Amino acid sequence: MGIPKDCTFVMNRGISTPYDCARHLSEWHMDSSALAVIDGTNYWDMHRPLHDNCTLELQTFTSEQPQQVNKAYWRTCSFLLGACALTAFKDSVPVILHSFPGPEIHSGSFVYDIDLPSLPDWQPSKQELMTLAAEYVKICRRNLLIERLEVSEELAKEMFIDNKYKHKQIPDIARNNVNGKVVLYRAGQHVDISKGPMVSSTGQVGRVNIASIHKLEGSINGEESHLYRFQGVSLPRSIMLNHFAYNILVDRAKKLNRARLPTKQSAQEESIPDQETQTLAAQA
Amino acid sequence: MNQADVSKLVTKLRIPIPNKHRKLKNQKGPEGRLDKLRKTVTGLFKYERIELNRNRGDEARQYAERLISEAIQHGDCHKATMDAANFWLLEKELIHKLFKVLAPRFADYNTAYTRLINAPRPGYSRVPDKVVLELRGNPYPSLVNKQSNNRLLLHNVLLDAAKHDYRQSKYAEIAKNIPKTEETNKEKLMHKEDSLPVKNLNE
Repeated sequence: MGIPKDCTFVMNRGISTPYDCARHLSEWHMDSSALAVIDGTNYWDMHRPLHDNCTLELQTFTSEQPQQVNKAYWRTCSFLLGACALTAFKDSVPVILHSFPGPEIHSGSFVYDIDLPSLPDWQPSKQELMTLAAEYVKICRRNLLIERLEVSEELAKEMFIDNKYKHKQIPDIARNNVNGKVVLYRAGQHVDISKGPMVSSTGQVGRVNIASIHKLEGSINGEESHLYRFQGVSLPRSIMLNHFAYNILVDRAKKLNRARLPTKQSAQEESIPDQETQTLAAQA
Repeated sequence: MNQADVSKLVTKLRIPIPNKHRKLKNQKGPEGRLDKLRKTVTGLFKYERIELNRNRGDEARQYAERLISEAIQHGDCHKATMDAANFWLLEKELIHKLFKVLAPRFADYNTAYTRLINAPRPGYSRVPDKVVLELRGNPYPSLVNKQSNNRLLLHNVLLDAAKHDYRQSKYAEIAKNIPKTEETNKEKLMHKEDSLPVKNLNE
């Protein structure tokens, strides 16, 4: 309250995060800030420790230039879709997360490709989609902070030993990273590989729909698989939209999203893991 | 019934006017009230944006609106308007600002000339409601973050993409129908040509 003024924070190097700075400002800043901008150019996660003196800008979903925030949000939605699929199925149905392509908001839906080996021909009913969305909302309601973890290649391999797809990707990702580390993101119990950045917490996800699940024909590197493409659409909590307009978005998200399919038909020309394409998307 | 309707003698203000005036309680009585309001109106014209208590802000706003609307209507050669400006503006250089700067600025407005916005209030405190009173068209950054037209916001990006998609599908539909109609036209022509020689033969 009062006149805005320039201020300087004295924080702990390597410990304090932009989120801590927001806590010094106000509760509103804490809840609504989605992404931080360091020195005007670097997009930084809210829960990633600061390493040096810098200028800090906190961006929300309604900032004037929200492109990067939107991308981070879309990426977070894909990431949480993986978490949601892992918890929603019964123990008798094994779920293996494959990957998600870089965030493309124009495509109209966020995507996660998931392998369900025990379900060769699954046609999800409307009820099942709603149940999935309910699981998603449950995760969002827990208001989990989304943390960034940097781990070594060996540790990452150990963590993803159950997941054959991710396990295979890790050496490649570590090689492409500057310091040979693998960047992971964590929300509650769920950990996934992603280039980042992501938004501050799951509580910032508002309205969400799992629009459709499409079976992807073809095979991955010649191996038989039952890959399904999970598609959803969602809006941040701070953005309100008329239900009619929102239904248009949901209807559009029901069509198959053709963003980088992992199966063989389209993967011949580019068989890069998702994290790399995300870098490309972030640079563009 | 020869009496003129008072409400038609003065220009109608574009802000809600309460039925009763506020007394703005003080020791000097009505004179003190006017002193307070004159100070506020002067401050508003000088700084273009001020923060104050709701009662005083809303009361001063009405006088400021009236003053601007008179200045626009009558200009600086009108004795009564000049006297009013002289009375309400304690700093005399602001009279020039009123006629030379503010009157031209607001001449084409079809909204109110001032804006009254609720200011934040510390929770659980017993302070009176605060407001921000400002002249429209001031040079400061906007106080309200209303950006429903920002095409970069997430929902607008999604809606624009959906619109584009819908249009493309419609164009594709139209493009599909075009060759068919041409063919049918050609067929019709063919039939006519076919029919003509027959007629000739008959003749």
